[in-house]
Amino acid sequence: MEVLLGITTSTSTIVVASKAAMRGATILKTSDDKTIILNPHTLMAFSGEAGDTLNFSEYIAANTALYSMRNDAHLSPSATASFIREELARSLRSRKPYNVNLLLGGVDPISKEPGLWWLDYLASSARVPYAAHGYAQYYCLSILDKHHHPSISEDRGLEILRMCTDELQRRLPIDFKGMTVKIVGQEGIREIPWDMSRPIMAA
Amino acid sequence: MSIFEYNGSALIAMVGKNCFAIASDRRLGVQLQTIATDFQRIYKVHDKLFLGLSGLATDAQTLYQRLVFKHKLYQLREERDMKPETFASLVSALLYEKRFGPYFCQPVIAGLGDEDKPFICTMDSIGAKELAKDFVVAGTASESLYGACESMFKPDMESEELFETVSQALLSSVDRDCLSGWGGHVYVVTPTEIRERILKGRMD
Amino acid sequence: MSRRYDSRTTIFSPEGRLYQVEYAMEAIGNAGSAIGILAKDGVVLVGEKKVTSKLLQTSTSTEKMYKIDDHVACAVAGIMSDANILINTARVQAQRYTFAYQEPMPVEQLVQSLCDTKQGYTQYGGLRPFGVSFLFAGWDKNYGFQLYMSDPSGNYGGWKAAAIGANNQAAQSILKQDYKDEISREEAIQLALKVLSKTMDSTSLTSDKLELAEVFLMPSGNVKYQVCSADSLNKLLAKFGVAQPSTEA
Repeated sequence: MEVLLGITTSTSTIVVASKAAMRGATILKTSDDKTIILNPHTLMAFSGEAGDTLNFSEYIAANTALYSMRNDAHLSPSATASFIREELARSLRSRKPYNVNLLLGGVDPISKEPGLWWLDYLASSARVPYAAHGYAQYYCLSILDKHHHPSISEDRGLEILRMCTDELQRRLPIDFKGMTVKIVGQEGIREIPWDMSRPIMAA
Repeated sequence: MSIFEYNGSALIAMVGKNCFAIASDRRLGVQLQTIATDFQRIYKVHDKLFLGLSGLATDAQTLYQRLVFKHKLYQLREERDMKPETFASLVSALLYEKRFGPYFCQPVIAGLGDEDKPFICTMDSIGAKELAKDFVVAGTASESLYGACESMFKPDMESEELFETVSQALLSSVDRDCLSGWGGHVYVVTPTEIRERILKGRMD
Repeated sequence: MSRRYDSRTTIFSPEGRLYQVEYAMEAIGNAGSAIGILAKDGVVLVGEKKVTSKLLQTSTSTEKMYKIDDHVACAVAGIMSDANILINTARVQAQRYTFAYQEPMPVEQLVQSLCDTKQGYTQYGGLRPFGVSFLFAGWDKNYGFQLYMSDPSGNYGGWKAAAIGANNQAAQSILKQDYKDEISREEAIQLALKVLSKTMDSTSLTSDKLELAEVFLMPSGNVKYQVCSADSLNKLLAKFGVAQPSTEA
């Protein structure tokens, strides 16, 4: 029951992941970070099979870092999304494919445009205004369908995110131990605290 | 459920008088969950050649990227665009390469060939070509598309009427298919211009 | 004496030189020349055609200019059979990049990958270096218009104006004198034709001895590589007054 969420605003992309690391019904850790910074303007969130997720995302992070070093320039978020898709697509037809679902959030360093990419373990890729993976899809996409608009401010984006996390807290049968909330903005990536101790109205 | 129906799709290509139309739906889903409502299934290869890829989205994307690679090198080497017939053979060869582990795609190819003669064709996931003089369809909505096209098609339509026919056939067909829809994307190609239109349908 | 260090490309002479590489550069010194000039709104490539027989059937529309991708083109001086191999490598590299990243390959990366190939032939045994110099003209979203020059050793550099092939030193020195920053594309063409008219052996410039290509942005924002037709080239030559035999020569 891992939760991945992504919301674009007019200036930034908000990427959100649940903090619980689970194995079966057991929670092993309550401060798991399911995101990884690829370069100063690109952030990736991942979920899926335990070993695959970290192995694959570290592989991607290392390769994007190598690109930055070799070429004295960072990959754009859209190029990164294509690169990840290609790697996943190749893995899909290998002997042991990676089972990883991803969200990629970024701000293009040249056009300054925020972007969000949804990729599943089959390496289908789509650029979307908002996205979710796992059970969060069932609870959050309808909220986002109703309230999201590409021109919303970052503050409004966080308000909508609050609606989403409240709903998840209310409806998901297992406590997912809070959320890591990271924002890819015009000035880089920052993490903001996300208080989930407030009482939520019962269903 | 077949893997061809995992993401949902609807594709249609139709021949008119010295022109052709190619159209698709815009939904990307994962079974019954809709992920994106502006998904691209039709790609422009060059000004007079279009390719639609129905079936599994990941394979459609991979296949398209591989075809661009090969077509681009052909263009640079030959200093000309590829003929639709040649391109169809290229797609077919690329699909058959993976005969025993195929790309789960059914392509639709539409183009203007020598002397701007329209060419349309589809093939199965291992590259068996099926040429047609009137229309070809593919995707999860293909059954209803066959019916719609069969009753709406007329030979030698002008581009404007062709657009209307293709759009009506597409929109009425995807409404009977729960895996495709969310409007349509239509290209009408004449020797002199490409007209691209986004259709709104039942957006649910 | 020098012969002892000639047979293998990979062996340094006692003075620290690689003779085969230097001979390769020598070979290029006899080839038809090419000039590239970076303008503020594009890049201009002009080349001198050596093969002008009317009987020759050419397989490509241009002899010295090759499109590598939609946003990069190159001019060649040297052994054409060697160049064909490298041009093909470059095209494949550019397409591999596009396949992976779904965007055009940055120009310098493309030049670098090709020069890595060239360099390999100066180090690994049993091979001869490529006898080719290139001028690359291109545009990318990071650095805009760019002009690069590469030689058989695998060295490359970015230039505002550069010349390769026969008389390249004379051409370089004229370019150095006459090049101005913020030059327009038309002025760049004029300058390139002027330089060629002074450095080429033949007394007058005609469209069948020249090739002119440009890389620029169209109003739509797309990059365009355009080869000048013989007709419009003749008009340009007349306009800039370089069609007549040069009086200074």
